[in-house]
Amino acid sequence: MNNNIETFVEDIKSKYETLGVDIPKNNQVSLDFTARDIHSVLAYAKSHGWAQLSMLTCVDWIEENKLQLVYLLFNWENGVRLQVRTKLDRDKPVFSTITSIYPGAKYYERDVHEFFGVEFEGNPESYKPLFLENWDDMPPLLKDFDPQAYSDEKYPAREYEKDFTKKAGEK
Amino acid sequence: MKEIKLFLGPQHPGMHGNASIHMYVDGDIINRAYLLPGMLHRGFEKSMERRTWMNNIALIPRICVPEPDTNEMVFAMNIEALANVEVPERAHWIRMLILELARLSAHLMAFGGCGGPTGLYTAMYWAQADRDLILTLFEEITGQRIYHMYIVGGGVRKDLPKGIEKKILDFVDDLERRLPDYEDLILNNPSILARIKDNIMLPAEVVWELGVTGIGMRSATGLEYDLRKVTPYARYDKVEFDVPTATYSDAYARLNIKYLEMYQIIRIIRQVLDMMPGGKVRAKVAEGSALRWRIPKGQVYSAVEASRGEYGYYTVSTGETMPYRVAVRGASFPQGLLGIEKYLPGHRIDDAPLWFDTMGVCSPEIDR
Repeated sequence: MNNNIETFVEDIKSKYETLGVDIPKNNQVSLDFTARDIHSVLAYAKSHGWAQLSMLTCVDWIEENKLQLVYLLFNWENGVRLQVRTKLDRDKPVFSTITSIYPGAKYYERDVHEFFGVEFEGNPESYKPLFLENWDDMPPLLKDFDPQAYSDEKYPAREYEKDFTKKAGEK
Repeated sequence: MKEIKLFLGPQHPGMHGNASIHMYVDGDIINRAYLLPGMLHRGFEKSMERRTWMNNIALIPRICVPEPDTNEMVFAMNIEALANVEVPERAHWIRMLILELARLSAHLMAFGGCGGPTGLYTAMYWAQADRDLILTLFEEITGQRIYHMYIVGGGVRKDLPKGIEKKILDFVDDLERRLPDYEDLILNNPSILARIKDNIMLPAEVVWELGVTGIGMRSATGLEYDLRKVTPYARYDKVEFDVPTATYSDAYARLNIKYLEMYQIIRIIRQVLDMMPGGKVRAKVAEGSALRWRIPKGQVYSAVEASRGEYGYYTVSTGETMPYRVAVRGASFPQGLLGIEKYLPGHRIDDAPLWFDTMGVCSPEIDR
């Protein structure tokens, strides 16, 4: 970690309530915040060189009853990646959109809404289905969704009139 | 004229990949357009949570078909970062060789692939034939033609076979000799130039708005923003290569950069074969058999420069035998979804497949 990042992290720490800092690998820093700080942290990072939102994704921490949003930012100038993270209540996951800061987040928010059920206020299109056609169950990437049970219920085993499982010549 | 609704794809000979563009057209000008993804949604992220770390190696190459090795690479990089394992020196070089051969085959496919929407089928056939020679090299190295399952956590699955270096060098020599023919066929062809010059523009400010990476970004901004240069992985800091750029990004500029990059790939492959050290190719990642690996807790993101841009995985481990969550960042997500919605309108219907080809949209990685 070079000096630039250290000063940036110190700067962020002095301005916002930082719940945790970790360095999972070279040139990568993860920062945890409360949900109300996320927008100002993202705007601050964008104005300091983190011009690219690589991805927005979500992790379901079912034991804590939390959903964790992860914003991955990249700075092409010095090659440093930030993980900006926050945890939402799992029972009623509502957050507001960041499309005013990173317009590219529009479809990532739709993706997270579809697979985790997080609602993004201010992004009206995030409620539309994207990948799953005619989906009629809970958001599928939540940990309590069981794909095997869903598939057994939706596509029950067929009854065949003839038994094809025997070998040739066998009666 | 009356506006009519039109679906381009998923089963259309001019369409790249199994995606559909839902468009409203006036004559042959597109008024509004949306990508309809999901035709190839196979639930990879959920499936990966239900398989062990090693079993996943057989699953993930299928996320992007033309260039599957980047998947294995980012997954292995995440495992190594979490388990804090040092990869043997030789394995780094073999990985670079595999990644560059894969990039070459993907570039050939996309470069010749512009023949599909423009009606120049010769280009397609030439490129596919040359790509097939690379697949034969892959078959010899890894045992598989398309999905190699070769780069695993801790290194690569096995060492290179004897005598493969000469075969690779013969192939790149032969390809380098014939690349000018491709230039004559595609980039100097007046009927293709009429379609790709000053068409399908990608201005620099749009790049930042959408978050486009890779050739799209480099062709518009003129900056050498290549992950191999900015944050070198494997041993890309030890080899010499240039990053071709441009400041005016039309379809021609992007195809031209693909063409120039092919020379750089050949240059890297020669250096890799020249500088490759001997030694072990695989380090032990965790205790016990590979199917019972427990990877330490952590949340990490790794990305590599794929032929279409930044390709990465976000991996969460809770110290179990299976990953807790893996999220895939498809390189073509921004230009494929938001790009089509915002910037395809105004073009003609037959430019839509050219958008797919020159922007490098790969629908399986969008759908996952």
